[in-house]
Amino acid sequence: MLQAFDATTGAAMPHSGAALWLGLRTVRNLRKGLTWAWLDTVCQYRRSKIGPIWETINVLVMTLGIAVVSSAVIGGTVTNLIGYVGLGIIVWTAITSLISEGTTAFVRNRDAILSSNLSIDFYVARMSFRIFITFCHHLILYFIGVAIGLIGLHWAALLAIPGIVLLFVNGFWTITLLSLVCARYRDVELIIRNLLQLAFFVTPVFWDYRHIVSNRRFIVDYNILFYFLEIVRAPLLGEVPTAQTYIVVVSVTVVGYAMAYLVYRRMRRDLAFYV
Amino acid sequence: MSRVNLEGVSVHIPVYDANTLRLLRMPKFGRAKVGTGNVSHAGARLIIHALSNLDLALEEGDRVCVIGHNGAGKTTLLRLIAGIYPPSGGRMTIDGKVMALLGQNLSPNPDATGYENIALIANLFDWPKERLPEYIRDIEEFTELGEYLALPTRIYSAGMHARLAFAMATIQVPDVLLIDEAMGAGDAHFQLRARARIQQFISRAKIMVMASHSIDFCRAMCNKALLLAHSERVFFGDIDEGFARYAELG
Repeated sequence: MLQAFDATTGAAMPHSGAALWLGLRTVRNLRKGLTWAWLDTVCQYRRSKIGPIWETINVLVMTLGIAVVSSAVIGGTVTNLIGYVGLGIIVWTAITSLISEGTTAFVRNRDAILSSNLSIDFYVARMSFRIFITFCHHLILYFIGVAIGLIGLHWAALLAIPGIVLLFVNGFWTITLLSLVCARYRDVELIIRNLLQLAFFVTPVFWDYRHIVSNRRFIVDYNILFYFLEIVRAPLLGEVPTAQTYIVVVSVTVVGYAMAYLVYRRMRRDLAFYV
Repeated sequence: MSRVNLEGVSVHIPVYDANTLRLLRMPKFGRAKVGTGNVSHAGARLIIHALSNLDLALEEGDRVCVIGHNGAGKTTLLRLIAGIYPPSGGRMTIDGKVMALLGQNLSPNPDATGYENIALIANLFDWPKERLPEYIRDIEEFTELGEYLALPTRIYSAGMHARLAFAMATIQVPDVLLIDEAMGAGDAHFQLRARARIQQFISRAKIMVMASHSIDFCRAMCNKALLLAHSERVFFGDIDEGFARYAELG
């Protein structure tokens, strides 16, 4: 019943508490999204022997390459840098997937949106979880790093768990917001892809933010993506992220969901026309 | 009590085009045989009036086939009732659970097997878990797909997809069932079985709306016809009269 009248809920939904109602529905739908993403992953394994591990190999190759180059350019030894760079790339891959694939969540499911009355949460949840599952594959590299002694094991690493949760909780609103906007305005997807390339160099993924010249600190301080990188990477490297980092991340979460809700209210009704 | 009630409902589909100026050079829709005569501009945007001022009241037991030329608004009507397209004007009330079978298939993941897709649909549509084995047996029996159900659905033929999709869409006996074209892909044997299955449906007094060009199939499945032309309702009522009117339209 609820699913069937999604498109018209703009009118049917009671105004007050609508956001809450929407949130509850979404949470209820998350588990189904996970089931769907899981099936996607299983199929990926079926068609190529190591499935998503191909992407992990890609991450490994990138890590090795960038660690060698950045130790040559910036200084330091490869073994010292590899944990920092590797985890940086693993988290960065998740961030960029959430953003860049997020722009396509609805356009890619055009046929399904036009032919079924499934709630659109499913497409968002499916994508979030698929990126999460791939991220978990990449984390294997971290454990290998720990096993061979390249990365130390610290109690602080446990703090990475809330970090990962926060990262993907934010991924959910990002996908909702971007996929709606990008379904309507197709240029936005291309703009975002371009900006992400720049963001890779601007964000301290493969260079240490502590080495930055003091009058250019703003590059890091005003870079939201940096804080999301830090809540996962810093604990895994044995550092406790600063309170400021958590404050920024939680604020972004709140503001992000508010924005996504407003865009959803405004654009959900016409989504079938956009795709 | 399921019910579909449309009062003066319109659906206006905006055409988003980066270069709307180009539309000035478009041929006039009015002269085209295909499509609706109703196209308007809102600023730089082109708007297609896919359904205009439609009244329709469907009660339990109504099995309606929507007929009309290509572009008359059949699919738009089904998408409207399914809640995919929002009404641009008028009042729409729908009581009951709607199941839409509007695409060529109902397999959310073509790389997964038939069984896996059934399980996924069961999950997405909240089929009761304890009844799943029973449902699967029913689907196996109805589709007669045999071991194909254990293969990825991407290798299915259109007819096989039609069987599986129809079986899944009707298993829970929705209050309102919407079917578009797709079923035409099934062979005569399947159509016979689909008809028998719809008979059960009627006994539970539900509503069905289907769009099709196959007169035989419509006659077999439906008891009423809705004729649309140029986004408007031309006729609604007895199925034979509906087809007679359709023939007059030429």
